[in-house]
Amino acid sequence: MKVNPAKYYPLIPVYAIYLIMFLIGKNMTGMWELMAMLAFYCALGQAFNIFLGMTGYVDFGYVAFMGVGTYGMALAITRLVHFKGLGIGLLIIGLCLAMVMSTLLALAVGAVALRLRGAYFAIATIGVNEGFRYLIEGAKIWNGSEGIIFFAQMNEAFGREMASALSTFWADVLVLIIAALAAFVTLHYMRSKIGYALTALREDEDAAKVMGINVTKFKIIAFITSAIFAGLLGAAAWAIKTPYVFPPEVFEIHYTIEAIIIVLLGGAGTLLGPVVGGLIYGLSKYYLAIILPGFQLLIFAPIIIIIIVLFPEGTVGMLKNRVRGTTLERYIV
Amino acid sequence: MIFEQLAGNLIQGLVLGAIYGMATMGLSLIFGVLKVVNVGHGAFIMVGAFVTLWLFNALGIIPIFAIPVALIIGLALGFLFYYTVMRKLIKAPELATLLATFAIGVLLEETIKLIFGSEFRGYNWAVGKINLGITVLPFTKLYACLGSVAIAVLLYLWFNKTRAGTAMRSVVEDSEGARVCGVNVDGVYALSFAIGIGLTVTSGVLLTMFIPVGINPYMGGSYTLKAFVIAVLGGLASPYGAFFGGLVFGLIENGSYTLFALLPNVEPFALTRFLSFAMLLLILLIRPTGLLRAK
Repeated sequence: MKVNPAKYYPLIPVYAIYLIMFLIGKNMTGMWELMAMLAFYCALGQAFNIFLGMTGYVDFGYVAFMGVGTYGMALAITRLVHFKGLGIGLLIIGLCLAMVMSTLLALAVGAVALRLRGAYFAIATIGVNEGFRYLIEGAKIWNGSEGIIFFAQMNEAFGREMASALSTFWADVLVLIIAALAAFVTLHYMRSKIGYALTALREDEDAAKVMGINVTKFKIIAFITSAIFAGLLGAAAWAIKTPYVFPPEVFEIHYTIEAIIIVLLGGAGTLLGPVVGGLIYGLSKYYLAIILPGFQLLIFAPIIIIIIVLFPEGTVGMLKNRVRGTTLERYIV
Repeated sequence: MIFEQLAGNLIQGLVLGAIYGMATMGLSLIFGVLKVVNVGHGAFIMVGAFVTLWLFNALGIIPIFAIPVALIIGLALGFLFYYTVMRKLIKAPELATLLATFAIGVLLEETIKLIFGSEFRGYNWAVGKINLGITVLPFTKLYACLGSVAIAVLLYLWFNKTRAGTAMRSVVEDSEGARVCGVNVDGVYALSFAIGIGLTVTSGVLLTMFIPVGINPYMGGSYTLKAFVIAVLGGLASPYGAFFGGLVFGLIENGSYTLFALLPNVEPFALTRFLSFAMLLLILLIRPTGLLRAK
């Protein structure tokens, strides 16, 4: 198979931003935490964009996939901690379990919710997220509302020093890797049959169906891909970074809203959009909290309304229109 | 013993259900006419609760007289948000309207928090209670229930007997057709949004008459989620469907709580919530037009 390198040019600005973030965090004192937060928001946007941006379906229960991913890692570590000699392999098992669990949930949710469209889909996915949370709490699955706390197991499995390095450094690096992978997959989908099918479906689902596109298949592919990245993100950014899981926290609808805001700020369905959106959102959240503590949301809410009304294509969407016909066109997608 | 408890809880559920139903009519009306899901629904209920609280605690006005005040505030907020935000998003994709209504909700919550602070508040309007043998109903709850039914009936009459109500129904059926027949569709959108918000803010008054404690800027979130379940029970686009959905929901919520409490080693409250969301999914799957199969 011949690989056309020009196909991957749009990844250059994305990876350059991630590399700069890593270098700033590594070399400037006190910046690592901020860069880690930005990396989390970029990764969240990038993962969510694969489904929301490409299909136009609003998954209001997206955080549920991050939640089960977090549980996947927590269960792997607490159940397998006594098998000595797994070492870092334990984390690999945890990540795999997170992927499997989010895939299974995505299959179950997809079977129900993807039959619905528009507002009905959004409401159904909220229902799944809340329902799953209350099932865990109500039936006392995985310790119910008491959650799982596994600081001790982390120390036992990896040693005190390594466990601390995992939570303060490697978890964030993993988040950056997940973000980079999600960007690669997004571009790969965009430039393949999947992307074209999803664009057709986003513009007019009935017309796409009439043209002979198997819309269900492509919707499910995008849904599961997006869910797997959410699961990985939950395992890395929540379970490894802070070794505890509580159902009200990992199923908090607030994170879904943040993901939607990031995608919208950057531009839904673009490759660079979620990165730019994540940076804008993360930086403004961070600095507003310093300048005007307690008033962030009061300022943020009207700004979001203004952006939705006046700039619905997002920053990268506008930029894309601006650079059409120039050499930059190849890099901004 | 258990049957008496169950019957008592079901009566409470029916009274609460009428209020829940009324609290969801605004959501269904807005969805029916504008095809917009108001994710900030609960925040408007919260505004109504604070109106009641403030009138009662600061001015000594009893909650019944808070109803018209809340309605006027709600209508004003509805027109304000329609003409500043929603009007430009009628043709926008779901993503935009869902996020915009959510942001409106956050804006209301944060504004109220700025004025009143974020601690839990309550008020105490004691006007006696009535003993039914199996359960005790304070008159405030009864007034709230009667108020809900009265408002639902008035809305029904308004919908069916007035020109504006007829215009609204025509837009629900077919907005293009209505436009061709000379209906001012934009005006209907504005009026429906305002009435929907007005009803929702008013329902905040009635809800605090049933539960006069726990009033807080962030109290709306759980009502938003309940309203989604109730609206889906009623077929999402029909205000009357929503009212009956509320009655069904109130009965199921209170009845199932009594039964789940009998099971060993579970958390009955969480299971009740689980049941309501399982119901939501089931109905969306097998009967998306709602239990009553409303149009």
